[in-house]
Amino acid sequence: MKAIGKPLSVYDVYDRAKTGPKMDESDWDRKVIPQTAQKYKDKYGIKMDKKTIIPEDKELCDKLFNAGLDMLVDAGVYCIDTGRVIKYTRDEVLQAIENAPDHFQFGEGKEAHNVTPRSYKDSTAPIIQGGPTGSPCSEELFLPIHQAYAQEPIVDTIVDGVFQTIQGGDPQPNTPYELLAVRTEALQVREAQCRAGRSGMGL
Amino acid sequence: MRPSDAHEVSQLNELKINVGALAMDAHYRLAGCQIMVEQMPIFGGYAGGLEATTIVDVATTLNTFVMMQGTWHLDGPVHVRWGITTAREALAIAGHAARAIEENTHLMLGNQYYTIAGPCTVMCLLETAAQAITDTMSGREILSGVAAAKGTRTNMFTPMEARMMGEAAHAVAGMDLHEANVLLDKLVGMYEKNYKTAPEGKPFEECYDVQRLVPIDEYVKVYDEAIEILTGLGLDYWSK
Repeated sequence: MKAIGKPLSVYDVYDRAKTGPKMDESDWDRKVIPQTAQKYKDKYGIKMDKKTIIPEDKELCDKLFNAGLDMLVDAGVYCIDTGRVIKYTRDEVLQAIENAPDHFQFGEGKEAHNVTPRSYKDSTAPIIQGGPTGSPCSEELFLPIHQAYAQEPIVDTIVDGVFQTIQGGDPQPNTPYELLAVRTEALQVREAQCRAGRSGMGL
Repeated sequence: MRPSDAHEVSQLNELKINVGALAMDAHYRLAGCQIMVEQMPIFGGYAGGLEATTIVDVATTLNTFVMMQGTWHLDGPVHVRWGITTAREALAIAGHAARAIEENTHLMLGNQYYTIAGPCTVMCLLETAAQAITDTMSGREILSGVAAAKGTRTNMFTPMEARMMGEAAHAVAGMDLHEANVLLDKLVGMYEKNYKTAPEGKPFEECYDVQRLVPIDEYVKVYDEAIEILTGLGLDYWSK
């Protein structure tokens, strides 16, 4: 990895989304994605056996990693609003990986979990984030449903559901009801965690 | 929301983004929040088959840390025909992408759960266990679920599925990888022929006493039945 001027920021990404190569979205979906993935599958001679759900062969893991890295650098990322491709250099990608967090605290107080990288050999279990995972919840049961998840001892943090309706309204995207739903969602999950005696729990 | 919560922003399928997501990411960064970037690559979608979708999944995961400077990436490879993350192909993509990244970086990864069967069914619990075993044994840091019955129907989920996700993860953490693969092959084989006739299950209010917030006896018995199957496959977590 060579030195770069500065790590990439979301502002740099936005600038590139305005100035990168123009492309039709259908060409991106139907040509660039399948053809680039196939190119790196062929380059690295990647073959998976779906009876072996987790690879036991380090060489296959390395091939898949390098193929994914090459694909990101070669293809870039398509911005649907500007119709342009955001491109990165290989060094920018490697630098971003290097700079990525290697730990974070999920939740607070006695419910805080220090999340650190796990190996597949690790005897410590992953963080268990329990909840409806974006599934629709009825208004009247939203709070008790999330309290019931927070009461499960094996659940470390909550991943909440979404309101089917809010005060009888439809929380469609980009409407006032959407904001009401999202804010109420966060408040009610926090209340559910408090009722379960786990106020510091992450969300 | 607190800075220590996971603030979500999503990429689009496949390797696409919109300006609104970049603005949301800028807001989270300026507010000093932890950022969870989500994306669910589609097996059988634009990328194509098993290997190509796994390559796209690796690229997408890396993009979380390049484009968004994310704290962690929430994956969720999904099967185009069934709309679930627990199909064999979806599990294989998740298992291979996570191991590829775990072998080569320190990046922190999660996975999300969408089963085809609904709550209060053995099939739903076995699907959940299969994915929890895959994610734990491929080095993921966070398991996030469960959206039962594909996550599309109101109140079709309960904490019992999350309990299974957690217990199956704790049951296999530290297990020999080859043994886990043998177990997974058998476990997935128990439900993968039944997608067309998957039981729809029951909503939360029929699975739980909604006053006391405890599961009904019927669901406890279904849970025990699933445990018996998993124990028979060699997991001794529940018999210790």
